[in-house]
Amino acid sequence: MPHPDALTIAGQTFTSRLMVGTGKYADLHVMRDAIDASGAQIVTVAIRRVELGAPGHDGLLDALDLDRLQLLPNTAGCRTPDEAVRVAKLARALTGVNWLKLEVIPDPRWLLPDPVGTLRAAEMLVGEGFTVLPYIQPDGVLARALERAGCATVMPLASPIGSGRGLRARELVKTVIDDATVPVVVDAGLGVPSDAAQALELGADAVLVNTALAEARDPVGMARAFRLGVEAGRAAYLAGRMPARDGASASSPTAGVPRLPDPEVPA
Amino acid sequence: MTVNGQPHTFAPGLTLLGLLRTLSVDPARVAVAVNDDFYPGARIPDRELTERDVIEIVRITGGG
Repeated sequence: MPHPDALTIAGQTFTSRLMVGTGKYADLHVMRDAIDASGAQIVTVAIRRVELGAPGHDGLLDALDLDRLQLLPNTAGCRTPDEAVRVAKLARALTGVNWLKLEVIPDPRWLLPDPVGTLRAAEMLVGEGFTVLPYIQPDGVLARALERAGCATVMPLASPIGSGRGLRARELVKTVIDDATVPVVVDAGLGVPSDAAQALELGADAVLVNTALAEARDPVGMARAFRLGVEAGRAAYLAGRMPARDGASASSPTAGVPRLPDPEVPA
Repeated sequence: MTVNGQPHTFAPGLTLLGLLRTLSVDPARVAVAVNDDFYPGARIPDRELTERDVIEIVRITGGG
């Protein structure tokens, strides 16, 4: 029986709306347990040069249940569209997966994506048959252009990568969500489950977190908490929030309150 | 030739699989690019290399 509220990306359906990264974990056992606790079905990985003279590998792939997980290689560290395209092709050769989290980030200080370079790289990669999920600043105009270029999602940031500062770009993220025709995945900057819940309440289709789990005192516990936060946020979005008001609105009837006579308070 | 961004000594007759053996890299866990040709580890050809080749050998690592 199909899930009543599945997330569909590029024709694939997922029951979880939480995506997780695999970076920064103290060890692979903690990473694997955190992924399990998160319920995530999409996990990001990075591509790096083999350190020559240091044979072997870090065992990451062995620690991931690839029967259950969709791999999402990223182009983290790429500064230009050409670098991103090259890393994308290496990622596809390495994993056999043509999904790609596209990052074109020229400046390591703030890790803010280059919008022009991202669009140019996306156009090239879609033409090469990749399923492209671009990481972007929350810019609705850029998001539409990436949709037109054939991207499978758009991934606006909540706040700078790894900052844990939460949904600082809330109003701008909303402008991306409001007109999107592809899933919107809020990526970067989420620190606690309430940040994720807010993104889902706002109408984001999913969120992606890494540092918030890996740098938690208890990564597995935090992964479980994020799972619940995402589920709560999505449920709230579907239920439809009450309108916000400037003033108070009594919940109890205002008529018929038993009162004592008080000359200083009007009846 | 250049391997992973570093100059590398070239010897005539060197092949791609020979290079990986020299570097103690297990092909099963890597992907390789020779200039603009991209190869999965399982299908790395034993092609001859030239001293002008730019070679990239990569693996998966943790990332977000």
